[in-house]
Amino acid sequence: MAAEPADAVELEEEQRLVEAAQAGNLDAMRPLLDRYAQPLYGTVILPRLGDAASAEDVLRDTLATAVEKIGRFTWQGKSIYPWLRQIAINKVYDVHRQSKRSRRLADAMANEVPVETDPESHADAQLIADQERRAHRERIDETLDQLADRYRRAIELRLVQELPREVCARRMNVAIGTFDVLLFRAVRAFRKQFGDDDA
Amino acid sequence: MPKPTDDERDDLLAGPVPNPDDEPTAAERAHAKTFAELVDKTLSGRTPPAMTTDDRALIEVATVIRAASGNVELAQPRRRALIEDALRQAVGARAFGTSGTMTAVRGIRSLRRAWAPWSVAGASLAVAAAAVVLWLRTPPPRVIVEPTGVATLPETERSRPADAVVGPIAHERAGDAATRIDAIFADRLDGYRELRFGRTP
Repeated sequence: MAAEPADAVELEEEQRLVEAAQAGNLDAMRPLLDRYAQPLYGTVILPRLGDAASAEDVLRDTLATAVEKIGRFTWQGKSIYPWLRQIAINKVYDVHRQSKRSRRLADAMANEVPVETDPESHADAQLIADQERRAHRERIDETLDQLADRYRRAIELRLVQELPREVCARRMNVAIGTFDVLLFRAVRAFRKQFGDDDA
Repeated sequence: MPKPTDDERDDLLAGPVPNPDDEPTAAERAHAKTFAELVDKTLSGRTPPAMTTDDRALIEVATVIRAASGNVELAQPRRRALIEDALRQAVGARAFGTSGTMTAVRGIRSLRRAWAPWSVAGASLAVAAAAVVLWLRTPPPRVIVEPTGVATLPETERSRPADAVVGPIAHERAGDAATRIDAIFADRLDGYRELRFGRTP
């Protein structure tokens, strides 16, 4: 679920909340954070980390930093979302820098989507989140297209449509154990292909 | 089950992937089943905190695919909890209070800042005044109690100097403390033996 479109009335309300927060009423931040937490999590942070627990930590840190630094935010007649998004991306990079593990795929995703929001753009949160989601999806589809048909099918059934294993196996006319092997190989192949594309 | 070696791990993540129709080995079937169960748990929001590095890398891939497909949402209660955590983290639990309101936190902080120098100055003044009062106060007459009834002990049970045993220490033997300690120990041991065994009937 993305943020609702920020029309003129909503932007006005957002400006009022930001100014109230900057004046010391940090309660005013709560509706803003509530509104943008999901797009930040689902569109910005999780696709770049791939780990739900880490993504929640990053989201919390992002929101806390936003509250701490709201005084530095300058209202320019557009949503606060691009500013929040940039904080989130910086936090994601911090996690990647600190992580010892290989995160080839997440790094590839991070490099694929432009991280700088055009400061002149007046795009609202909905538009930015939609663009970002579309970019992620296109990247995933491009990689899926390079996989063997049965691997692509296994991923689409289990991870995109999220059908139960039994249903996936029936749709592919195989036993559950065979479907497990297909999905296992498919995800390995996807990871390898995604990283190779990036390289 | 034996742990995979580094080579095996590299092979799993970076090595060639078999074709869909290739017959799986028993080990691959077992690993695939484990992975399938991890996917089950992840899809139901119960991702186990502990798993192998290989499995974690593959689960991350699965999560990225799901997120890009718009399938991952942060549940409302969890979202609210994270927001409250973030607010607390940002302003501190004390300023936030238990009521959940942070209205005029900055005002409270300003008030504290304004009062802080006066509080320090006042406390310092009070301490100085107390010190002066204590210094000027006349001490009460001291009552000296003379010790009475001190028990006298025989010489053998009292401490006695070791000068007689060691004698004057010559300058060139100043560093030879071990010899002097040995002499004092032998003297005290003799005294103990005499006291302990010399009086036996």
